[in-house]
Amino acid sequence: MAYTFQFGVVADNFPALLQGAAETVELSAAAMAGGLAVGVLGALARNVGPRPAAIAVRAYVEIIRNTPFLVQLFIVYFSLPAIGLRLSANGAAVLGMALYAGAYITEILRGGIGAVPRGEVEAARALGLTKLQVFGLVVLPQALRIAYPALSSQFILLMLASSVVSTISAEELTAVTNTLQSTTFRAFEFYFAATALYLLMALGFRAVLDGIRRLAFGRAVT
Amino acid sequence: MKRRVSTLLAGLLALMAAASVVTASAAQAQALDRILKDKKVRITAEVTSPPFGFIGADGQPDGLEIAAARQIAKDLGVDLDLVQVPATGRIPALLAGRADIAISSLSITLDRAKTIAFADPHGALTIVITAPADVSIKSIADLAGKKIGITRATLEEATVPKLAPSGTQFAYFNDIDATIQALLSGQVDAAGMSGFAAKSIADRNPGKHLESKFTVTTAYYAAAVKPGDWDLLRWLDTWVFIHRQDGFLAGIYKKYTGLDLPDLPSF
Amino acid sequence: MNRGFGWTEFWFILSALRWTIALSAVAFAGGGVLGLAIAILRTAPVRPLRWLARGFIELFQGTPVLMQLFLAYYGLAVVTGVDISPWPAVASALTLYAGAFLGEIWRGSIEAVPLGQWEAARGLSLGYWRTLGLVVLPQAWRISIPATVGFLVQLIKSTAVASLIGFVEVTRAGQLISNVTFQPLTVYPVVAALYFLLCWPLSRASREMERRIGVRLGERGF
Repeated sequence: MAYTFQFGVVADNFPALLQGAAETVELSAAAMAGGLAVGVLGALARNVGPRPAAIAVRAYVEIIRNTPFLVQLFIVYFSLPAIGLRLSANGAAVLGMALYAGAYITEILRGGIGAVPRGEVEAARALGLTKLQVFGLVVLPQALRIAYPALSSQFILLMLASSVVSTISAEELTAVTNTLQSTTFRAFEFYFAATALYLLMALGFRAVLDGIRRLAFGRAVT
Repeated sequence: MKRRVSTLLAGLLALMAAASVVTASAAQAQALDRILKDKKVRITAEVTSPPFGFIGADGQPDGLEIAAARQIAKDLGVDLDLVQVPATGRIPALLAGRADIAISSLSITLDRAKTIAFADPHGALTIVITAPADVSIKSIADLAGKKIGITRATLEEATVPKLAPSGTQFAYFNDIDATIQALLSGQVDAAGMSGFAAKSIADRNPGKHLESKFTVTTAYYAAAVKPGDWDLLRWLDTWVFIHRQDGFLAGIYKKYTGLDLPDLPSF
Repeated sequence: MNRGFGWTEFWFILSALRWTIALSAVAFAGGGVLGLAIAILRTAPVRPLRWLARGFIELFQGTPVLMQLFLAYYGLAVVTGVDISPWPAVASALTLYAGAFLGEIWRGSIEAVPLGQWEAARGLSLGYWRTLGLVVLPQAWRISIPATVGFLVQLIKSTAVASLIGFVEVTRAGQLISNVTFQPLTVYPVVAALYFLLCWPLSRASREMERRIGVRLGERGF
């Protein structure tokens, strides 16, 4: 049984694949923004907040990091409606991805914050700044700069993880690929093309984010 | 050193070419003979598509198509190996050689017939739009502005989006069980699926007051084999012929759907 | 046939856990062997070998694990005509995935072994392979334990995607039960809890070991 490759079918449907790739990037960017917000709040709670908040954040981080993203998605999309919270597929996807990324970003920022020289914190306190001001004006900006490489990696990981949101009918590259594959029966060709697209996006974003780092943080970063 | 490497590579390529020729010709060996010799037939099974295939109360696969599969194995006098697949996996499993026969409520369509070979039909199904009672849908025109759940690689995927008015939103799921969950949790306003699945879900979830709103299309479904397995295909046609006469097909149809089997045409 | 979520249903999900464990174990073992080979290639003094290993790692780290699985299960099976059922497809895909990640982790730990060790070994005329096997690898292994255990957690969570090709591990079992009982608010959190019970002790152990060994291999948010 010789299998004849028919990549022509893929070429015909390439615009649809590209559209799917664009949707993947949109979802990932929105989720990353949400994840950063969550991560900063989480870092704030652990650094400056009252103990119950810090414990709650710790619990959130441990739960997200020790359960599969797929199951978290199912809970957001299928389970939450039972208590009245019904989100669209794309909405659930962004929320799920943001909560997922947020846990990792909280940890990444914790590392970044720990790397800010103690001397600066003490100097800021000596100047009379409140704990919150020290966090927001001195610690966080530097932590973000230090953590930038890890945060860029996290974006790429998030973009790759986004492929499972196809199972809750969200629209992105994997969903488009599945539909094309199931209607044309050209499984290998389409999955191959989609995999190549993901790889290009991952490598491309890494190069771009790295370039931004060099431009924005030109001077030596630890 | 370079010469040795290229010789080695050439040798490997030749070996691979030879291997593929051998396996290709081996695959041409008659499917029916192989099944009888191995004493095993592999048939696809969906387990999340009531009433065609589902997990029974004893944790074992059960259902209309599964009953048919069991009878086929019995009539062949071989063991049955149920290859569990999601809806999108039915045809790939057959083409990949993971299954000898695909029996999972595969409706006969010309598009599918381009890649697989259908036997004579042994059942009929309808595709309906189902939704809770409080969702007002009387005909296909009412789908506009609503979100409809559809399972990929199914007859409903091939028909509903084409017939629906513009302004209808579709949500595609890889598996009928995800579509069902979306409908039950209200994530979609309505869903397209076989009439039987709709009835089965309505019965199992009386609190949701699901009802079939209208029929989109009717179709006959049949067993399918990979193109080339003509001996197996002929045997399956014979199987359908015999069991149409002796009432077996009508019997299981009534048992799992509660309906009488309509007249089945043959090719 | 309106089944509620009772002990029979819980037992069905729990007994699928053995497949999650089996899949993780097989992929970890196979990936371990592969990863060792990759790490050695990656640090070899021969450039083409280093590039080959690097290409392999980039491929598996730069594409979604779900795509790798679809390609193995739907794609390759159609092309080669070889009978690939879910278990071998998932086991192979996850083994390659684990091999790439473990290879990268172990490369990092090989490089973290102080250069002085290599030089001292050269002074003793030990040769590349003997140095690697007797001096460097044992030390690299010790350094890598926290990250390796951390990756095992990642691997266990990744087995959840096997549910999307119908392999009945614990996530799929949850989907099946949710379909029959329709209680997603109970079922999916139970599934999540089972993963948590598997993963959390490992995560804690990894952190504990990291604290004791003291060498960080760089934050890699998963």
